[in-house]
This record gives sequence, structure tokens and C-alpha cells, in this order.
Amino acid sequence: MSQASVPGVANDGTGAVSQQRQYELEQEAMPKLNRTVFQMVLNEIIPMAYAVEVSKTVQKDETGEVAMGSLSLESTVPGDDNTAARRMRSSVMAVYNLAKLAEEDEDKYNSVLKRIESLGTSIGSKISDMLIFAKNPSISFKNMDLLSVMKFICRDVWKHVFGKQIDNLKTNHRGTFYLIDLDYAPIQDFTVEPSVLEEQLSEEDLQIYELKLVEPFLQFPVGIIKGVLHSLGHPLDKVVCLATYADKPKEKSKVGGFPKGINFHVQITNN
Amino acid sequence: MPQSRSSSLSSSNPANAPQVRHLKALGDDTWKNKVEKVNAEFFHLTYGTIVAQLCEEYAGDYARVNGELFQIGYNLGVRLIEDFLARTALPRCDTFLKTSEVVSKCAFKIFLNLTPEVAHWNAARDSFDLVFGENPLAEHVELPPGASGQLWFSNVLCGVLRGALEMVQLDCDVEFVSDTLRGDMSTDIRVKLNKVLRDEIPAGED
Repeated sequence: MSQASVPGVANDGTGAVSQQRQYELEQEAMPKLNRTVFQMVLNEIIPMAYAVEVSKTVQKDETGEVAMGSLSLESTVPGDDNTAARRMRSSVMAVYNLAKLAEEDEDKYNSVLKRIESLGTSIGSKISDMLIFAKNPSISFKNMDLLSVMKFICRDVWKHVFGKQIDNLKTNHRGTFYLIDLDYAPIQDFTVEPSVLEEQLSEEDLQIYELKLVEPFLQFPVGIIKGVLHSLGHPLDKVVCLATYADKPKEKSKVGGFPKGINFHVQITNN
Repeated sequence: MPQSRSSSLSSSNPANAPQVRHLKALGDDTWKNKVEKVNAEFFHLTYGTIVAQLCEEYAGDYARVNGELFQIGYNLGVRLIEDFLARTALPRCDTFLKTSEVVSKCAFKIFLNLTPEVAHWNAARDSFDLVFGENPLAEHVELPPGASGQLWFSNVLCGVLRGALEMVQLDCDVEFVSDTLRGDMSTDIRVKLNKVLRDEIPAGED
């Protein structure tokens, strides 16, 4: 990736490196790490949100002797720091289970979704701030209208957080937007292995079950969208964002990828 | 196996230098050519947000925060090891010394672009420290009052190591022993080998 491969820089005449090139160089010089790690940590937010929920319920429910039993038994073991570390681990171990989350009652389920979304919101608004301060000359935040804000989300935010852009943006120019990501990156590898299920499901039921299990993962990008909008002057209570599954056009469906695309419906009300 | 371990560990040994260089080259090359990269700041910021949220949720019960971070790491570790083995195609380590070099020169390099120093081997040669100059995940972090001395901010790393090593039959205890965030001179993670899990080794190996 030498300078010569960038037309317009070498032939600039003035010899000055263009602002855009300057920005790219700065970005390249930033410390980097492996995208796999970043992606996996983002996905880990979902089981964590559930683990916190369960762990808090256990704490509240003083009478739940069965639930507390295993914990207190562990904590009577006298020990050094090593066993302490193990004890902490085992106390949260049992709750790592998405299938269980899907069967929780509505209150609990929604509370987990809310926790995921709120993490997404704070991460989204911070990432948005970072992208703004990076001073990419191709984005101007001055007098930014709603459509450019949405484009900023589709192109820049999505590219940085999920490694790809949103595939399709639709709007009615009155505050309603549809952002469609046909291959939402974090869920592409997900699949339910039929052999681990207790009962045999038809292919159709299996997909319904799979979609249900993956649903909590969609709450995170919803939070990201809201967080970015928030940081650019659209308060959380003026924004509604819902994620639903979208069918993929036939020619786009890849073997091994997740069977559905994601449709984010964003509704922004003005004051 | 114990014999070979004690012999190759007998010094901080020049004999192993070519091997270590090879591992370093492998780590550097994989990082440079086979890894999709993302700005480290995005990761730090995301991780920091998660830690902050946990501290808030557990209202200052930092032992539980540490546990939760460890658990996240464990979940990551058991899956990262697959990615790691697929990328590097490294064979089973024949000594724990080699394991330590693989962890520092390859694993940390490929995933976080860091190379912690391996130090503080104990006499039994089953425990070492990974020494980081600064806390690697906490560049712009300041602990809330009360958290210092209790919260291990980067405890996720311990979970990752524990999970990943367990998947290659090494039952280890992994914990922080010092952290620059707490005012220590360096950030150290101690890895202690409890035993090599035997179940997947064919009979007659010993």
C-alpha cells in the first residue's frame, strides 16, 4: 500500500498531502487489535446481561434457599485467593444459557433486553464522539440534517463497529427510516445444532427457534443507533428504533450464513 | 514428560533462543498478514463501558464484578483458542516454558498486538508472570474511589487465559497480582499450572 498506489497524491502538483490522505495516515498509525476479539466481546454482552439479571434476582430472593444453597456451600470452603477466583467463576457459570433466556417470563426478558440496549447506547454515543473527533474530512457535521446523520450511521459507524456498511437505507423524508443489513456481522456464524435439542424439530420450527434465540443480539445495534443519534442531538425519548428480521433476496443468501437479514425501523419525532 | 520439562527449563536458557525467535516471527507474521484489524480505542472504550456498567449494576460489589469479567473472558477463551490454533497450526507445547512463550509471543500478539514479558518463574517451574508495562486495556481509565484495591479492571484477560489453556488440557489458575491502575509498578498476571489434564492423551504416552 505505497503512496504511489494512491492517485492524486503523487500528482498533486503542490506536493501537499491531501487532507483525506492525512486522515487515512493518522488512522493507520492508530494502535490496532484483532477484529475477532472486538466482535466476540460485543457478542459476549448478551450472555453477560442475562448473567447479571439472574445474579441480581438470586441476591434479592433471600428466601430462595435452593438458589442460594449452592452459593453458600461454595463460600464456606476456606481458601486462598485461587479458590476465591474459582468460586466467583462457578457462581455465575450456570446462568450462561441463551436457551434459558428465551424461556424467561416477559419481565425478565425485557429487563435483559433493556440492559443490552443501554450498553449499546452508551457504546454508540462514545463511538460516535470518537468518529467526530477523528476529523474525517469527508464527513461534515456542520448543519447536518437527519438524512446525513443516518448516512453517517450506515457508512461510518457500521463500518467501524461491525466491519461492513448497512446494505440499504430507505426514508419517507418525514422522520421514518429503514436501515437494512442483510448480513449483520455478529450473528453470521450462529446456528442451532439440531442434535443437542431434546425433541426433533421440523426445519421450519428449527428456524423459528433459532430466530428466537438470536433475537436478544439485535437489541445491541438498536442501542448503537440510538446512542449515535443521541450524541448528535436527538434525545432518546424522541427516537424509536425496532429491529426485525428481513428476508434476504434469493441471490444474496450465502451458504452457511445467517438465514435472515435485519431491518432497523427508526422513527424520529421532532419537538 | 516431566523429565523433558525439567531439562529444557534448567536455565533461562540460550538453548531455547531459536525456538523463541521462531515463535516471535510466527506471531508477528500472523498479526501482520492474516488478521483483520480494528482501532484499539474502540475496543478499549467498549470494554471500559462494560466494566463501568457492571460496577454500577453491582453497586460497588467489586468481587462480583471481577467474577463477571472473568466469566466473560472464560467464554471468550474457550472459543479464541480454536481461532488461534487454526491460524497458527502450532503443535502441542511439550513444556510449560514453551506454553508461556506461545502465550506471550503468539497469542497476545495476534489478538491484542501486545507482547507481555514472561518473568518470575518459580522454583518448581510451574508458575510464571506475564508482565505488562501499563495495564493494557486501561489506557484512559481512572478507577472510581473505593474500587482501587478491589477491582481488577482487566480481569477479562485472566478468564481468557484460563478458558483457552483449559481447552488444551492445561488446568491453570490465572490471576492478577499487580496493576498499574492501583499504583503498582507494573501490571502482572500470574499463571500457575495445577495439572495437565489427561483425558485426551492416548494411553501409553507417558
